[in-house]
Amino acid sequence: MNDITEIRWHGRGGQGAVTSAELLALTAIKEGNIAQAFPSFGPERRGAPVIAFNRISAGKPIRSRAAIAEPDIVVVLDPGLLGIIDVTRGLRDGGVLIVNSSKGLATVNSEIGGPWKLAVVDATAIARDILKRPIVNTAMLGALIKATGVVNLESLTQPLEERFGKLSEINVQACSKAYKEAVVMEYSPGVKKAEKVYPIEKSLSWKELNLGFVVTEMGNARSYRTGYWKSERPVRDNAKCIKCGMCALFCPEDCIHQDAEGYFEADEFYCKGCGICARECWTGAITMVEA
Amino acid sequence: METLSIYAPRLVTKRQSLTPGHRACSGCGEALALKFVMKALGRDVIVVMSTGCMEIISSQLPYTAWEVPWIHTLFENAATVATGVESARKALARKGASLPKAKVVAIGGDGATFDIGLGALSGAFERGHDFLYVCLDNEAYMNTGIQRSSATPYGASTTTQPAGKASFGQSTWKKNMPAIAVAHDIAYVATASASYPFDLMNKVKKAIAVEGPSYLHIFAVCPTGWRIPTDMTIRVGRLAVETGVFPLYEVENGKYSLNYDPPQLRPVIDYLKPQGRFRHLTPEMVDKIQQRVNKEYARIKEKAAQ
Ligand SMILES: Cc1ncc(C[n+]2csc(CCOP(=O)(O)OP(=O)(O)O)c2C)c(N)n1
Ligand code: SF4
Ligand code: SF4
Ligand SMILES: [Mg+2]
Repeated sequence: MNDITEIRWHGRGGQGAVTSAELLALTAIKEGNIAQAFPSFGPERRGAPVIAFNRISAGKPIRSRAAIAEPDIVVVLDPGLLGIIDVTRGLRDGGVLIVNSSKGLATVNSEIGGPWKLAVVDATAIARDILKRPIVNTAMLGALIKATGVVNLESLTQPLEERFGKLSEINVQACSKAYKEAVVMEYSPGVKKAEKVYPIEKSLSWKELNLGFVVTEMGNARSYRTGYWKSERPVRDNAKCIKCGMCALFCPEDCIHQDAEGYFEADEFYCKGCGICARECWTGAITMVEA
Repeated sequence: METLSIYAPRLVTKRQSLTPGHRACSGCGEALALKFVMKALGRDVIVVMSTGCMEIISSQLPYTAWEVPWIHTLFENAATVATGVESARKALARKGASLPKAKVVAIGGDGATFDIGLGALSGAFERGHDFLYVCLDNEAYMNTGIQRSSATPYGASTTTQPAGKASFGQSTWKKNMPAIAVAHDIAYVATASASYPFDLMNKVKKAIAVEGPSYLHIFAVCPTGWRIPTDMTIRVGRLAVETGVFPLYEVENGKYSLNYDPPQLRPVIDYLKPQGRFRHLTPEMVDKIQQRVNKEYARIKEKAAQ
């Protein structure tokens, strides 16, 4: 690795990628390093894929404040992101990839293996178990520390206490548990990254827009797939559904439509997985499951 | 009101003039309120919208979620631009142009309405333009990251008045914006909530039917800024009404009527408890809020009884 370690975090708005990056930088600074943490802000909202960055250096001043295109380390908080964006874009040969997934090391490796060290942990299960909520950022810090040693696990306790107050103890637990449970596959040189096309590619540059930024087609946001934002999706039990349409009424995306049989079906293309339809269903016919 | 509408969702038009593919947060109550407003307005409408979440999420280049004429204004001047559109149409009609019929509707957030655009709005009301102004009130400047506004309720933690050792969050009471609209002697003022969609849509229809200015104040739950789970949006909106925190009422030509008056209001704690922005409140502060809600609710009730 270089004098400056560069880390890229992939998560969804609201999952705490930015908090993780900040906690890591604070910990690194406590240990006497120089560190940066910053998010990449887009117009997208809670649920949408987001990125955050860290730079950590033992002594060399950090001059760059730019987004990190060729990271040494990539951390993926949400397993659903693996299929939709190229999380390992630019990841250096010999770098480290840390993934939250319930699928285990071998499966994840077969999906996005490459010339890097790979660590996998089921951070969602750990967070549900210990924090009672699927917020995985602190667990992922534990896995990151195990796989990379960028900071020491013990040094994280104080920043966690400062950030989470009363809730810090369970966050420390989540972090330690992930540290223990993360499984690591060492770097093997020469492995090739699989060529894949990812549905969310880079957004248009200004040069590709119409003159005067004119939008010529009304309602063309219909072609924008907000369905990639979700980490949970609604599933309907037809035995309980009374076809009342309450779910459709309250869907903020207006993406639930009646099918030929009269059932109200969520359009996966737009559904952001908010869970309102499940919560508002009179008969409890809808449950949210992992997307 | 709720029971009447059990099977009524089928009565709501499927037609979308605000399309899916918009980029509001998962579970956004403001986008939901806007969906209902647009369903009720139909297609013969020109929308003028101030800067804020709803503008940003519906107009990401090279996309637009709008299928009706839509103008993005500055943060502060939606009412003024609506004035201009309405006046221009009148002038054209006077000159003999045949224009398709269209209602002018200005939409702004609470920041745009209560704070920076208040003067512009007051002017447009006072001049008597024929337009509807819709305030989507999510009780802070959400687009720029949860800064307090004069619509932020007492005690709520925001990024500009965060709760902590030195502050308990918002230290002032929410401005009574509907009363300010009423003070302009306009024909129709009403409050509504996305948790009561049929009431909301009826009010939109009533508001556009009047000649001259009208004002609709919609309570819009923001799961991101209020720190609640995304699936709780409708529930929390309902609790605001059931506790009397946000009563649903209409003021027609100065005459108040309360649209939903439960025999017994729930305690405000039921509304405050699920929200992270109120997590730090002490029992004394909750009590203070309860007293205030009691007083204001009684005031509306008294006006409705007159
Ligand atoms: C004159 C001016 N000041 C500040 C801003 C930045 N700004 C854009 S939207 C916004 C807040 C909008 O708040 P609100 O009207 O409540 O709408 P919300 O985003 O909450 O829906 C601010 C401060 C601006 N666009 N123009
Ligand atoms: S979870 Fe349900 S309410 Fe939420 S976006 Fe998906 S279909 Fe709509
Ligand atoms: S910040 Fe709040 S109002 Fe804005 S898009 Fe997100 S949920 Fe909606
Ligand atoms: Mg607002």
